[in-house]
Amino acid sequence: MNRNEGSAPVATTHTPSTASAPAMTSRPRGAGTGTTFTRWLGIVTLASMAAVALFGLVLSPEDVVQGESVRILYVHVGTVWVAYLAFVVTAVSSAAYLWRRTHSLTWDRIAGASAEIGVLFMAVTLLTGSLWGRLSWGTFWVWDARVTTTAFLFITYVGYLAVRGLGGSHEQRARRSAVVALLAVIEIPLVHFSVKLWRSVHQDASVAGRTTDVTLDGLMLFTLLLATVAFTLLYVWYVLHRQRVMTMEDALDDKGLDLALAERRREAATNGVSNGAPSATGEVTN
Amino acid sequence: MDDLGFILLSYAAAFGGAAALVWQVLRRGRALGAELPDEDKPWI
Repeated sequence: MNRNEGSAPVATTHTPSTASAPAMTSRPRGAGTGTTFTRWLGIVTLASMAAVALFGLVLSPEDVVQGESVRILYVHVGTVWVAYLAFVVTAVSSAAYLWRRTHSLTWDRIAGASAEIGVLFMAVTLLTGSLWGRLSWGTFWVWDARVTTTAFLFITYVGYLAVRGLGGSHEQRARRSAVVALLAVIEIPLVHFSVKLWRSVHQDASVAGRTTDVTLDGLMLFTLLLATVAFTLLYVWYVLHRQRVMTMEDALDDKGLDLALAERRREAATNGVSNGAPSATGEVTN
Repeated sequence: MDDLGFILLSYAAAFGGAAALVWQVLRRGRALGAELPDEDKPWI
């Protein structure tokens, strides 16, 4: 009996250029994760980011107190807004995954994608805050309530991404990271209200605050809102693409597992045949 | 302008970090897209 005539499907590798490839390559394939919507979204995002650079660095006026260093405000606030948004979306998506009625791995992938860009933007927030602090406070770092809790929030979400990277099935990954996300999001109100809860050198909300009376120059306010919108568009674009990449990674993992199981069955059948034991088809061959 | 270096570094970090993330996800998406059939891509 030919070794490849067992009942189990035979595939020696899941590299697409070999045995299993012809069936897969015969179908037309899309290039990647893009759609018409995401392409247009990408163009609008790129244009708005260019506008942020133009208004933030050139067109907006300098501040009467802080001078030119106020230009850091636009990227600092834009990125921290996206980081907060990303972490809240991570928590909401995680809850949607855990809830029986909306249980789907898509929610888990959205949570993971959202946390990734949140961690990047939180790192940028810490860096830009540090640079701005050097100009405003005369030091790169202070163990201030807002700064310290923000750093702690950043480390927590780095931990969340590490938990996502642990082994196990997709369901195991989704379940344990959802629990971590729901615990981690509790830190956000602590960070936000830290300037009220403790004495802090970091300023309170000066534009959206209810009790503040700040008259911001029109062009400065426009640049701040533009930066917030531009970074939010970038966030949406990234999450859409990244969760599609994660979908493909999971599909490839599943295919790899299927092929490994098929290979194992083939080996077991082959060993059974060579030892005189019945093969998968019930034949005994020596 | 004394502050220019700090300001430019802030913008470079924000825009450079975002660009690196975008480039990485597009590259990964294209690589995986070439390995998988369209039925594994619900967005197509």
